Amino acid sequence: MSLVSAILESLEKMVDENGWSSVKSVTLRVGAMRQVIPDVMKFAFEVSVKGTPMEGAELAIISVPIKFSCRGCGAHWGEEELGYLCPSCGGMEVDMEQGMELELESLEVQER
Amino acid sequence: MTTKKVEVQQAVMAADLSYAQKIKDRLKEKGILMVNLIGSPGSGKTTLLEKTLGKDGLRAAVIEGDVATDRDAKRIEATGVPSIQINTDGGCHLEANWVDSTIDKLPLDELDIIFVENVGNLVCPAEFDIGEDHKVAISSVPEGPDKPLKYPLLFTEASAVVLTKTDLLPYVPFDLDLYWGDVGKMNPKAKRLDMSCAKGEGLEEWSRILRSWLEEKRNG
Repeated sequence: MSLVSAILESLEKMVDENGWSSVKSVTLRVGAMRQVIPDVMKFAFEVSVKGTPMEGAELAIISVPIKFSCRGCGAHWGEEELGYLCPSCGGMEVDMEQGMELELESLEVQER
Repeated sequence: MTTKKVEVQQAVMAADLSYAQKIKDRLKEKGILMVNLIGSPGSGKTTLLEKTLGKDGLRAAVIEGDVATDRDAKRIEATGVPSIQINTDGGCHLEANWVDSTIDKLPLDELDIIFVENVGNLVCPAEFDIGEDHKVAISSVPEGPDKPLKYPLLFTEASAVVLTKTDLLPYVPFDLDLYWGDVGKMNPKAKRLDMSCAKGEGLEEWSRILRSWLEEKRNG
């Protein structure tokens, strides 16, 4: 729900700045680390947009899987081994390459 | 009226992050450490604060986040440190803009550390940067050993993981090796701490961690 409020805030700002009359669809990229259940998010979105320019808009969610990489040995891993410890070399210098996304990718909007 | 497709490619949390940065700048200038305590309802966040405040020479203040009531804030007030309550009116976490407007009400020139007791919840508070230096994940023995894997974001983001109510280990099935094994894999850099506020165990180590963080902040 809190993520949906953050999304709505961003959308409202864009609608304001661009003078669109309404938003027809919203495509969102959401990292798996964000702990989002797509159906729940869609429901929360549907309920929250009532009375806003986003009312009735369809929310599409592209799920981005978690991916880590090791700075030491260059290994890559993801969902099956969750964490900041390299499963190949045991190294701790690890980056999360993806999985934390919460990005508006594209919109379909109605212009005035 | 025409419909068109717009490519946006925009991160959603931008507004939140700008408030968080403002808080970070402010506290850096003042040399104040901010620690964000995150855990389930009943995991022992308030009790840990009661056992910490006023006992280790650090000058502290507390920002209390709660869905409703000021019960926790009253418990904190009783320790004599300044505290401010934020009621989220149903919201499941604190956000940086609220914290930003709250810290000015604290006596910043007289503080070493601000504790934020976030709303009891393992999911949303981990999502929102409130300008803190460290997140601390708090989970208790009765909640079971599977919390790290079920709520990975909090446990991977935390600088320290505190397992509370360890005095209940003889009575509750809890696999310590499984719990700390998962934490170790998910976040090998986090400090790990077994704690029993009832028995006073782990509190000295907790104090040492806080002092080392404060020192790092002031020297860094």
